[in-house]
Amino acid sequence: MSAERPQDTPLRPEDAPPNLYDVHGNARFFADPAMDRFAAVVMNLAQEVWVQEERLLALEEAKSGQSVDKEAKVAEFIERVFEPVRKA
Amino acid sequence: MTVELQHPMKADATPQETARGRFVSGMRSLILNDLAGDMGEAYEKRAAPKFRKANGRDPETSREAHEALRGDPAFNIYSAMRVQAQKMVWASVADSVERESDRLAAEAAKVADVAGGAELNPELDVPKNVHAIDVHLMPGSYTRGADSLEAGAVYDRGLAVFSMGLMGANLDDIGLSMAQYIKLRFPDFTPERILDTGCTIGHNTLPWKQAYPAAEVIAIDAAPGPLAYGSARAKMQGQDVLFQQMCADDLAYEDESFDVVWSSMFLHELSKKQRAKCFEEAYRVLKPGGLVVHMELPPNDQMSAFDGFYLDWDSYYNNEPYYKGYRDEIPADLTMRAGFEGDDYFDFVVPSISIYGEDAVREAAAGDRAEAVGQETTGRLAEGVMWYGFGAFKK
Repeated sequence: MSAERPQDTPLRPEDAPPNLYDVHGNARFFADPAMDRFAAVVMNLAQEVWVQEERLLALEEAKSGQSVDKEAKVAEFIERVFEPVRKA
Repeated sequence: MTVELQHPMKADATPQETARGRFVSGMRSLILNDLAGDMGEAYEKRAAPKFRKANGRDPETSREAHEALRGDPAFNIYSAMRVQAQKMVWASVADSVERESDRLAAEAAKVADVAGGAELNPELDVPKNVHAIDVHLMPGSYTRGADSLEAGAVYDRGLAVFSMGLMGANLDDIGLSMAQYIKLRFPDFTPERILDTGCTIGHNTLPWKQAYPAAEVIAIDAAPGPLAYGSARAKMQGQDVLFQQMCADDLAYEDESFDVVWSSMFLHELSKKQRAKCFEEAYRVLKPGGLVVHMELPPNDQMSAFDGFYLDWDSYYNNEPYYKGYRDEIPADLTMRAGFEGDDYFDFVVPSISIYGEDAVREAAAGDRAEAVGQETTGRLAEGVMWYGFGAFKK
């Protein structure tokens, strides 16, 4: 196995148009490439908000003695936060 | 939902890590169910009519459906979010794997003397498709951490997040569904020696040992780390499987030495040349009466342009460069070019045994093909998933 990974010859589908990727080889979708990055930031931020939400839920569980269905809660949270991208 | 792994190498995750994994699983569920549905509607309402206006006909191929959708808001949102969610899958488990490397090694050491084991081959020239690209955006790909447990742990824990509970409690739903289907459809077939090619961590190998406990089961892969991890994982689950580092297109086994050659989600990671050689090797090592059987994505020629594109998306945006090339091939042709005969070929769709239950698999096995391959849920990791497979017996 070669230790070096040849960065200059990325494996791509044979019929992939070059404009699918930015200069770093990342997939791009929006006309303004900054939007691709912002989409990632929004998701990361929502994830961190959920982390805090789940910590609060744990405190509330400890206080009330009643367990919370976190799977249902995260689904509600995601649906609420990302509602604006539905039916685009 | 994120699956909790069923063995001692499962993560001892912090509350933050657990929350991150739960969020990513939830995001993937939104993207692969709801946003995928939105993109399908956008295709019907905007993209396909626009293509029709420009070309005087509907999109006829996966590639044309892709062209029609590029730039559509629903495609952009689905795609940008799916790419990021995929990166977040691996990121959500990376910290725990790094932090727990010593504990993982200690757990593996506890089962070092249990039957089974991993035979690594440091001389093997690991193919470029395994190490030179971050396959499905997994940093470091399958060779991350060389022959340590790192790549296997990232893959196992990542799959638990990625699968959203749709790959079974032990991430083995594909293997369980397929092995059970074969056992029910061919009740007189009793393999004594089974080979899993491209096994990664052996999560879909173990069900074959469970279906045929008396059989000797061997699992191979080109990447060493996942084999070391998979071997420990199998031992912890009481499954006697031998893992060997080897390429499926260059098998170090005698002619006519196996009864089954199997793979799951493997053929699409190979170049066309490697794939053809794999089939030739499978034919060579199978005994007369032996069975080659693969679980894979369904082929493009059996799907609509949109459904074909939906699966081919991974080829362009999920670092699966050979995915579309594989799906453009005809499984029956691949099989017959290697020497199998046309009347010995069959393909089939198996309902997920974890979702639909054993009776549904039994019902599928009783018919030639219980469900049409082209239906929406076949091959899609989303609600109601069903698995596509094909195979042939060697005369």
